[in-house]
Amino acid sequence: MRPRLFYRWRTALLLILTAAARLAAQNPPLYTKWINYTPANGFPEGEVYSVAVEGHRVWAGTAHGLALIENGRVRKVFTTANGLAGDAVMSVAIDPRTGDVWAGTFGGLSRYSGGRFKNYTNLSSGLANDLVYGVAVQGRYVWVATAAGVNRFDTYTGAWSIWNETNAPFEEPWCYGIVATPKKIYVAAWGGGVLVYDLAGRYWKPYTDPDGSMEIVLYRNEGLIHNIVSGIAYNSAMRMFWASTYFGLSGFDGRNWHNYLTKDSGLASNFINGVQTRGNEVWACTQKGLSEFDYKTKVWVTYRPANWRALDAAKAVKDSPGEVIVTWPDGKKRKLTTATSLAHNYTLNLAFQGKDIWVATAQGLSHGTIQISAGGKN
Amino acid sequence: MVHRGSRWAISIAVGTLWLLAPRRLAASGAGWSGRWATDPGYLNPIDLKVSPHGRRLYVVCQGTDAVLAVDTRTRQVVGQVKVGQKPEGIAISPDGKTLYVSNEHSNSVSEISLRSFQIRRTLKTGWAPVGLTTDRAGRYLYVANTLENDVSVIDLSTGREIKRLEASRFPEYVKLSRHGGHVYVSNLLARLGPYYDPPVSEITAIDTRRQEVSARISVPGVIQLRRIAQVPRSAGGYLLVPFMRPKNLNALIQIPQGWYLTHGMAVIWPSKTGAGGGQEPRVEEVLLDDIDHYYADGTGAATSPNGRWALITAASANVVSIINVDRLNRLLKQIPTHDPNALADRLDSARQFVVGRLRTGRDPTAVAVSPSGHFAYITNRLDDTVSVVSLRSLRVVSTINLGGPKEITILRRGEQLFHDARFCYEGQFACVTCHPHGGLSDGLTWSFETPKLGHDVVQNRTLRSIEGTSPFKWNGMNPNLETQDGPRTAMYIFRSQGFSPNEVRDLTSFLRSLRLPPNPNDDPGGDLTPAQARGRAIFFRTKTNDGALIPLKDRCYYCHAPLTHYTSRVRMDVGTATRHDTIQSFDVPQLQGVYMRAPYLHNGEALTLEEIWTKFNPHDQHGISSDMNKAQLNDLVEFLKTL
Repeated sequence: MRPRLFYRWRTALLLILTAAARLAAQNPPLYTKWINYTPANGFPEGEVYSVAVEGHRVWAGTAHGLALIENGRVRKVFTTANGLAGDAVMSVAIDPRTGDVWAGTFGGLSRYSGGRFKNYTNLSSGLANDLVYGVAVQGRYVWVATAAGVNRFDTYTGAWSIWNETNAPFEEPWCYGIVATPKKIYVAAWGGGVLVYDLAGRYWKPYTDPDGSMEIVLYRNEGLIHNIVSGIAYNSAMRMFWASTYFGLSGFDGRNWHNYLTKDSGLASNFINGVQTRGNEVWACTQKGLSEFDYKTKVWVTYRPANWRALDAAKAVKDSPGEVIVTWPDGKKRKLTTATSLAHNYTLNLAFQGKDIWVATAQGLSHGTIQISAGGKN
Repeated sequence: MVHRGSRWAISIAVGTLWLLAPRRLAASGAGWSGRWATDPGYLNPIDLKVSPHGRRLYVVCQGTDAVLAVDTRTRQVVGQVKVGQKPEGIAISPDGKTLYVSNEHSNSVSEISLRSFQIRRTLKTGWAPVGLTTDRAGRYLYVANTLENDVSVIDLSTGREIKRLEASRFPEYVKLSRHGGHVYVSNLLARLGPYYDPPVSEITAIDTRRQEVSARISVPGVIQLRRIAQVPRSAGGYLLVPFMRPKNLNALIQIPQGWYLTHGMAVIWPSKTGAGGGQEPRVEEVLLDDIDHYYADGTGAATSPNGRWALITAASANVVSIINVDRLNRLLKQIPTHDPNALADRLDSARQFVVGRLRTGRDPTAVAVSPSGHFAYITNRLDDTVSVVSLRSLRVVSTINLGGPKEITILRRGEQLFHDARFCYEGQFACVTCHPHGGLSDGLTWSFETPKLGHDVVQNRTLRSIEGTSPFKWNGMNPNLETQDGPRTAMYIFRSQGFSPNEVRDLTSFLRSLRLPPNPNDDPGGDLTPAQARGRAIFFRTKTNDGALIPLKDRCYYCHAPLTHYTSRVRMDVGTATRHDTIQSFDVPQLQGVYMRAPYLHNGEALTLEEIWTKFNPHDQHGISSDMNKAQLNDLVEFLKTL
């Protein structure tokens, strides 16, 4: 009897735990506390285009320089006066081995090392174009997405390689984003879809919208949602790349496409500026807020200022409450109000720092921390 | 318009050139060995270390690719181990059981067991490694790769390089700080910058805990930062790094007035180093020269364990300067906080802290102090000896003969002359001062004395592989090396009687023997990468991208003829003259080793190879380049780097 009782209890306990876990998964933790970095606390004004985290340091690429935040304080804003190649910093990447910071600017590529900048421009180096949108580090190589194709810079030999419409299947050489993984390089091409470079095979494979340039999706998961790709991310846990477009969000698992639009998901807007992933999460930086998608539970959460409709694009949020919208797979929604909010609804990029997130917006950088779950207080 | 027959002739000529073009004119390792072909086996001791117990001296002999063990008591050579090609630097593990020796032409480090005094294994590095050190725990090795401008970090548990850290230009020597928290790297050449600005050199500081570059310490107004010493914390804890301080944009007419090229040391206070934030430590500069006599080419540096003495060797003066650190500290306290370079040009400083100028052998390159602090040992590279200095009596008490040949060849005499500042007015400099490390260019633009003073500033050029590239000077006025180094040198450069005819013969023989080192962009197997092959096709192209025939004189190979070291040996006007030049055309430079010759053009205006065409060829006078796209230019650059 006793063993049978034990097994019953164990089964019951497992069922309870599974149900609890499911409930918890259905009620994801929410970012309800926001600290914003704006000119009020020494941060540059205007757009923040990119953000990267290195331990306790946060590097933010803004329209007016490269900002360094340490332990929650703006330590320094680097501009061309400090040796930066250009003031508009579109991308930041940190070499995990050397600690060097690479900044893609609208005046070329900058390497920050040991407190000094070294710049690579179209005139002084093999850089394809001074409009640098994306940068990624892969071992000894630095990969660069420019307005005139993709560069690879060998930091050991100083050799530059260029891929563009002349030697690779680029419909458009205007590249907006780049991600490096140990085996492949993923490129977001504005108008050219997604291009993937196989490092072992040394070949490019393009992924484009099967509808061509049509702005509607004929068949939902037929292929890439649109060729205007603004950002790219790779998730090693899911083995998927995710592409943000101006017409929706696309994910590709190697066999199937997984596309998301506002009309059939919790995505805040189809106009997406950037995408990042972590674990099961996919984060879409849209013009109407930041949308988080849990790929496993299919729950969406969107963050934005409560008064976002009234917001002027040129004005930052001041003491505005935040709005959090949770959308469950069955279409049910729940809206919460938070005391603080993102600096602006127009979000451009994002980086993770442990559980925290750092969000680049049109009017400042926002640091979000988890306070409660969608089901109630944490 | 080109006649059809001419086209055929041109095509045949190009094809022939292509086939015959010596793909690997830059010397291979064997080529460098040829530089010593008539060498009877000089040892050329270049660096040394004393064992922790003080009973052994380990001497790196560059000439024989060996390390010698010397008994410090008997002062006799007691052992020898062969290492790689052209060994340069030496480090000893913290436990005193292992030696590490960098092999500049093998791109490796030899790990030597001190128990057996045999090679244990060979570690791969970057190109042309020189300085090296372990970290305090002996787990990692830091090696300066001079030709790749970076530092290899090698995990000694696996023997593999785990990362490269970028230095500045030609990182030569490294030093582990006394507390072990940093590795400091001295860079021989100044950072690239506008030629009309004073040079700024760099000490690269590496945080050994994070293994990242934590600071790039600017040392303004100087070049050729050499070996690094650190005084004990009780004596100030600062670094001492010898340097050369040029006034290169003053006309050479200044030389008889002195103070044209001065030699001193940077005093760097690491205690103020800010990790990663760009906060550079305080850098002060003091000269080691006297008002009426100079001590050219400070190279070796060491301090005594008690911090009482610091020793700096002047390689071209054959002197070691003994510095009383207490007196130096008193002088340093007089430097105002707001003006760290207050003494940088003062020739009356050294007398306040230099307490001895001891004569060494020829070319004293390195100095090491025994653990007891009783003796200092100095390698005399061009004498094959080691000077032993007593730090009690402050005298040279002995000279250890390492056993080199007694015969002095023409090349040996030439090399000694090349490294001898006695021929210059007041000993201000030697040939090697501006052509360090085997005939490199110092990377500076100089104002030579021309009819219009201050005009015609010209970039210094390397002496490596100049055989067969006459005429010399940017104006092509010197038809041969004998003219270049004879009366002209005496009159315009050394401002002295100069060399005798026999000495000119010896010196020019030595210059002709100098060869380029192995090229890191060159595949030893002889294959070009696809980019290099495309670049070669561009170098030899006869038509533009749209099919138009390129006039012969506008083709790369016309002026940079492969069969004559990639120079046509004539003056050409490529549209680079400025309003500061009194001539329009310049001697076509050879392209061999061009990857290591930045900056470029006659005045050093182009900081990179790319800039030659992107900035300084607006009218296609320096070859037709306006039709090329960026990828083609990159390919051309990749090919040029292989030469």
